[in-house]
Amino acid sequence: MNQQSELAIETRGLSKQYGNFTAVNHLDLKVKKGEIYGLLGPNGAGKTTLIKMLCSILHSTRGKARVLGEEIPDGNVVSSIGYMPQETGVYMGLTVDQNLKFYGRVFNLDKEEMEKREDELLKFVALEDWKHEMVENLSGGMKHRVSLACTLIHQPELLFLDEPTVGVDPELRVSFWNYFYQLRQKGVTILLTTHYMDEARNCDRIGFMQHGHLIAEDTPSKLLEESRTDSLEDAFLVFSRSDKKSGDGC
Amino acid sequence: MKFYRIMAVSRRVFRDVVNDKRSLAMLFLAPIFAMCVFGLAFSGDVEDVNVVIVNQDQGYTPPLGNTTYLSQTIISHLDTKVLNIQTMDNVEQARQQVMDGKTSAVIIFPENFTQNAIMATKNASAGSSAEIIIQGDDTIPNIKNAILKSVSDALTETMSEEGVNSPLKVTSEPIYGQDAEFIDFFVPGILAFVVYLLTTILTLITFVGERTSGTLERVLASPVTEGEVVTGYAITFGTLGVIQVTILLVIALVVFNIIVVGNVLLAFLAVAILAVTCQALGILLSSLAKRPEQAIQFFPFVVLPAFLLSGVFWPIQAIPEWLRPFSYLVPPTYAVDACRAVMLKGWGLEKIWPDLAALVIFAVLFLGLAVWSLKRGKK
Repeated sequence: MNQQSELAIETRGLSKQYGNFTAVNHLDLKVKKGEIYGLLGPNGAGKTTLIKMLCSILHSTRGKARVLGEEIPDGNVVSSIGYMPQETGVYMGLTVDQNLKFYGRVFNLDKEEMEKREDELLKFVALEDWKHEMVENLSGGMKHRVSLACTLIHQPELLFLDEPTVGVDPELRVSFWNYFYQLRQKGVTILLTTHYMDEARNCDRIGFMQHGHLIAEDTPSKLLEESRTDSLEDAFLVFSRSDKKSGDGC
Repeated sequence: MKFYRIMAVSRRVFRDVVNDKRSLAMLFLAPIFAMCVFGLAFSGDVEDVNVVIVNQDQGYTPPLGNTTYLSQTIISHLDTKVLNIQTMDNVEQARQQVMDGKTSAVIIFPENFTQNAIMATKNASAGSSAEIIIQGDDTIPNIKNAILKSVSDALTETMSEEGVNSPLKVTSEPIYGQDAEFIDFFVPGILAFVVYLLTTILTLITFVGERTSGTLERVLASPVTEGEVVTGYAITFGTLGVIQVTILLVIALVVFNIIVVGNVLLAFLAVAILAVTCQALGILLSSLAKRPEQAIQFFPFVVLPAFLLSGVFWPIQAIPEWLRPFSYLVPPTYAVDACRAVMLKGWGLEKIWPDLAALVIFAVLFLGLAVWSLKRGKK
């Protein structure tokens, strides 16, 4: 099997410029199929911009990217990806059921499949009793659960989750991760961003992002080893300082 | 109540407004815009009304005297600022001009007009009276009244000049709008106006919500294309527009007993195309707003031009001449005109097609721009 077919995501020199501001700067990234890859970094590091480019919501200014083997932006690949935005991305004026059905229809699920998927997902996000409730009446955490269910309705091969566990209580966060592992076992690739460092340890690999590029990338244990720290937070600070120094040296 | 706390709140609000340059600009531009548009558009005087004069008057020749034509004197006294006068010989051809919407009225001076007027002056008991017949489109009361007033003023002036003191009659024979009242003129316009207003504003607010809540991003990260989003919205708002119009029309018929002489389905069609145009306009405007509050600031720019320029409340002839071309840049103008023509004149597709064609052009243009604005957001 060649390397390209093993990769779910591959970017080369990917950049996004807004006027004078460079949101993503010449970024090279490789995410293997069936991997949970976590992007960590401060606000404004370019994580969300990167995800939006990979989902074809934003066009890159420079560089190339392949998603599931297709060069993006590509109209076909979007059928195989699931995107959960930072904002909940669900319709407040619709019920949970109506939201799920809308996204199901968008991905052309037939009625039977849709009902089956909906029941499974509502059970998973523990919202079976809220199926016919308007989303605007739900708590913040519940809205996030609806959002995740909408992302998963069409059983995507590749998931882009932008801070999926924000506002979700610790117990449910654990169940989210258990579900992510189940998805990984089925071969689903997950690229997520998070601010929770403890949660980031659950990823197979982590990429630290700063100023639009990766400053370090490896498994959590190797990053800790390399930075000689015992927390990812400290590890990030070590790599951040070293990136700054090498930048100054240039 | 503590003064320092009040001032803290006040300063915060000021800062909020000042920091948002767009809000600041709108805060001052919107009232200036409103004042200018109202001041310029709302003159209230009707001008440039097309009329055709058919003068069949043979005049009156007294024994040993020259022939007098009172009709010519009256015509020379007609206010040419109000009336654009064209002359024709044939009444039927002139009436056809009204029926085709090319002119507002035919002013007919019968063969024995001067003779009857002078004979009646000389012999009040003779019983003959002179009359000017106005056959016109009475669906727009302001225009009908402007024509009547202009003719009556010219008549009064002529009578005093020529020393005619017999009663000269002005008879109005409507070609369109028999028994039409202001409400009959108003309702077709308000149907189009309400749909324009609600559809544009509703789409604007809804779409800003789509942008800020992340739903648009999620949808655009799915197989749904920008064109499909816009078309989906168009179908919904086109349908809602027709439902709105149906409800309004039922109320107008039952409560106000308005005149409907044509096929209302054609009016529905015009309004549905207008609704499609308006939802595309709403999507387009939403790309300029980052927050729902900013979207609200567009309201004056959406409402006022249509309110003042589309002919809903007064005819386009009551707008200053130089401003009139702008009326044709406002989509509701065509829907108002089409609804009025269908409902009050009974016009069919063969006559209202230019209005429908203009609406379709606007719809295609705005739909294209709406799709472009969504695609541009990816850049």
